[in-house]
Amino acid sequence: MLYDLAQHLINAVASGTIYALVALGYTMVYGVLKLINFAHGDVMMVGVYVGYAVAFLLGRQAASSFLGFMAVFLVAMLACAVLGFIIERFAYRPLREKSRLTALITAIGISFALSYGFQLDVTLTKARDEVTQAEGYRLTSTPCATGDEHCVTILPGAAARRFPTIIESVEWVNIASADGLNEVRLLNWQVMSFLIAVGLMVALQVLVFRTRFGKAMRAVSHDHRTAALLGIPVDTVIAGTFMLGSALAAGAGILYAIKDKQVQPLMGMYVGLKAFVAAVIGGIGNLKGAVTGALLLGLCEEGVVWFGSSSWRDAVAFGFLIIVLLVRPEGLFGRYVPEKV
Amino acid sequence: MKSFLPVLAAVVVLAVLQVTLGSSPYFVYLASLVGVNVVLAVSLNIINGMTGQFSIGHAGFMAVGAYVSGTTSLLLKDDQLGFLGPVASDQLFFVVSLLLGGVIAGVFGFIVGLPSLRLRGDYLAIVTLGFGEIFRVVIQNSDGIAKGFAGVPGLSLLGSFIGQFGGALGVSGVPQHSSFFMVWFWVFLVVLLAKRLAASSHGRSLKAIREDEVAAEAMGVDTTSYKVRAFVVSSFFAGIAGGLFAHFVPIINPGSFTFVKSMEVVVMVVAGGLGSTTGAIVAAVLLTLLPEGLRSLFLELGGGDASLAQKVDQIRMPIYGVLLVVIMLTRSQGIFGTHEVWELWGRWKKRAPAQPT
Amino acid sequence: MSAVAPEASTAAGPLLEAKQVSIQFGGLTALSEFSLTISRGELKGLIGPNGAGKTTAFNALTGVYPPTSGEVVVAGERVNGMRPFQINRLGLARTFQNIRLFKQLTALDNVRIAIVADSKPWFDARRVQGLKRGGLAQRAVGAALDATNNYRDWWRAFLRTEGFLAEEAALTKQAEALLSVMGLSGRRDELASSLPYGEQRRLEVARALGTRPSVLLLDEPAAGMNTREKADLMVLIRQLRDQFSLGILVIEHDMKLVMGICEHLTVLDHGETIARGDPASVRKDPKVIEAYLGEAPAHAA
Repeated sequence: MLYDLAQHLINAVASGTIYALVALGYTMVYGVLKLINFAHGDVMMVGVYVGYAVAFLLGRQAASSFLGFMAVFLVAMLACAVLGFIIERFAYRPLREKSRLTALITAIGISFALSYGFQLDVTLTKARDEVTQAEGYRLTSTPCATGDEHCVTILPGAAARRFPTIIESVEWVNIASADGLNEVRLLNWQVMSFLIAVGLMVALQVLVFRTRFGKAMRAVSHDHRTAALLGIPVDTVIAGTFMLGSALAAGAGILYAIKDKQVQPLMGMYVGLKAFVAAVIGGIGNLKGAVTGALLLGLCEEGVVWFGSSSWRDAVAFGFLIIVLLVRPEGLFGRYVPEKV
Repeated sequence: MKSFLPVLAAVVVLAVLQVTLGSSPYFVYLASLVGVNVVLAVSLNIINGMTGQFSIGHAGFMAVGAYVSGTTSLLLKDDQLGFLGPVASDQLFFVVSLLLGGVIAGVFGFIVGLPSLRLRGDYLAIVTLGFGEIFRVVIQNSDGIAKGFAGVPGLSLLGSFIGQFGGALGVSGVPQHSSFFMVWFWVFLVVLLAKRLAASSHGRSLKAIREDEVAAEAMGVDTTSYKVRAFVVSSFFAGIAGGLFAHFVPIINPGSFTFVKSMEVVVMVVAGGLGSTTGAIVAAVLLTLLPEGLRSLFLELGGGDASLAQKVDQIRMPIYGVLLVVIMLTRSQGIFGTHEVWELWGRWKKRAPAQPT
Repeated sequence: MSAVAPEASTAAGPLLEAKQVSIQFGGLTALSEFSLTISRGELKGLIGPNGAGKTTAFNALTGVYPPTSGEVVVAGERVNGMRPFQINRLGLARTFQNIRLFKQLTALDNVRIAIVADSKPWFDARRVQGLKRGGLAQRAVGAALDATNNYRDWWRAFLRTEGFLAEEAALTKQAEALLSVMGLSGRRDELASSLPYGEQRRLEVARALGTRPSVLLLDEPAAGMNTREKADLMVLIRQLRDQFSLGILVIEHDMKLVMGICEHLTVLDHGETIARGDPASVRKDPKVIEAYLGEAPAHAA
């Protein structure tokens, strides 16, 4: 019993910290734009696929070395920052002065395009033309066979893929009960992912509360028109916030993929929704709230897995969300802001 | 009695069409598919377009209607009202099961509508999405629930009803009662309701909520009550659509009512123009026929090779996504804005007397 | 015009009474111990420099922000905690400082929304409302009866019954009458957003009158108008009071305008009531002069 509890607590914290990283992105973007960036989870998914591609290119040996590990993270985060920038610049910025509904629909559209676009099979295959005997690439939609060097995957297809091992799983702690029936296992990647997540959160906290950029961010969040009048480059700050949030999401996504050992196009939607729920529970727009909400959600889900059946897990997040919104719509740490009349 | 003329006209027209075209199974199937989507889009437009709330969980209500009415029909399959004869009896049971599905969906609409009392746009969207997903998970776990209910006195009947849902496998063998006439009669009803509601003081109050909730409240509009009513009516018709759907497809399972289905309906409403019933109809017809058309075209081109045709289904979803973004960036009011075709009729009527005869 | 005039109230005493109403946002006191009464036929003014809490006072009276302390009584009923639409139904209507029309609807529809259809529900509306304020069981019954009434109303709209069509026609007629009172007959079918500024303000007044108020709160009705339009408006406001036998409370920035039409003024500064009385005495009050001198000396002169 006690062993079970300890094990479930470890699992809860492990998934909670990952949700927290994604939730921070939602909360930051909401803070500066008052927009729920529905596509946030899908940006994360793209990041995971980029990480997957990097790990794949590096090969098994290189990818599991420290430098390879860092490369997977950094490239994925960079790619997502660029993607976040593109989305903000070309989809959200033109709509900034329009109704919130317009922006929300756009966000849903981007989310849909990414998560289902990635389910298409598109490959670039090098083939010999039988008439001219010339070699050339052409786009097809048949999945690459493993080991086929003439085939490059452009879009991955709907099937889940195994995420390459970038950390060899090592048991750091294993406490077994006397009869050997129960045990508590703590794996190296669980500890590392926890540390990475906490590190990123601390860095974010410093950035927001100790730097000029953070100050500008908070000013924009408070009132972007006044901020603009005071000479704060609002566009840059918003773009920066988007890039930052997206990069965090990519990091979180790779941690999630390490935990889950697989990648698939719909992961963004599901992890994203849960992270969003966490952000709302904590009070959207509030960094501390997002982390707290994420940990609570992790606990809740793990509790359901423990007591009931895991098939109910996906419904729990939403049930939790609905209850919180009904009881305290502004979230645990949020402040109720009356509409100005 | 003038108010009933459209109904009579619709019955006659639909009956004629049923007799002339009803014998082609492919036409009937396609027309039913289009009809169900039109009912969904027009009913969603009552919430999203007229009232300005944003629900993205419509498929959940469709699922409730489909499961309730499909299971009811399945249970009543072998029963008959002797004095009516087999066909009339079947159709009567069908209508009863449809209404039952609609009413239960409406009850769920009430439950989902309640949070909308306290939530604004984006939050409400997430809550409706959440309810949609909860419905799906509940249906997927229906076997377990049925077992749980079986032991509880008073709930055992409900338990055995839910037990028919078949979990992830779904329900098959629902009698195929849907007909072109029935589907399109409901299309007619929902369009008539939307049109007449919009032209009444109640519809104007809904639009007032869309335009400015604070002002509507200050002008004596009970905004919460109106919003909930919009949800209930909209969900009722989504339930009807689900019921109709359940009676012409071979099997219903949770996979038919996912977030994807909800999004499909949202795209229809947004593309047609939030607030325009005409737009919802046009977009629903186009967006249903287009993939079907492409599918048969590809099947033709591929010489019967189905692989290309299957791609249509795959590529539809990302295209919906891109479509939403493009519409928002270029013409956020959709094809029709908030206009209706029947406004033209009104304008024409007004202009006519002005011309000297 | 009898179609839109409110029924004579037999209740004695003021139609609107605010007793020591305070509103706090977090630690900030936006309005402190605000008291005011309005009776039939009275035309009062609420003035003060920018940010003095005038609009907050309106929001407290109309239920947008529930008072932190104090009491608001409309037509003899305590309305603290009631929703804005309920307060409106008791006879209190308002306009907004930053014009909140239903922009994408026509002028006619804007007014029609405010007018309550004169329908005969299955269950008497007043008794249903009474039930809804009772205990838990009573409230449940009240809600069920109310819902029955409401869905029946929609059903009648769906069937377009004779009674429904008659109600709609009556509604339209009343709205047209109000539009003509405000000089907007020609704009009947134009979208609210396409009207010029002054007409939008007038349309807001017409819309507020549609709710058949006994008290009308006007939030800076003359803002953004030129001198001539302002003068016309003053005449119109007086005329409305007499025609509909209203009590009117006007928020105004422009001292001259208020001095011209109001019989009684309340002056707010930083949420506090610093003076009240007839215009002549308020104008001489040193506190008022001080409050305005810092702000806009031109007006105080």
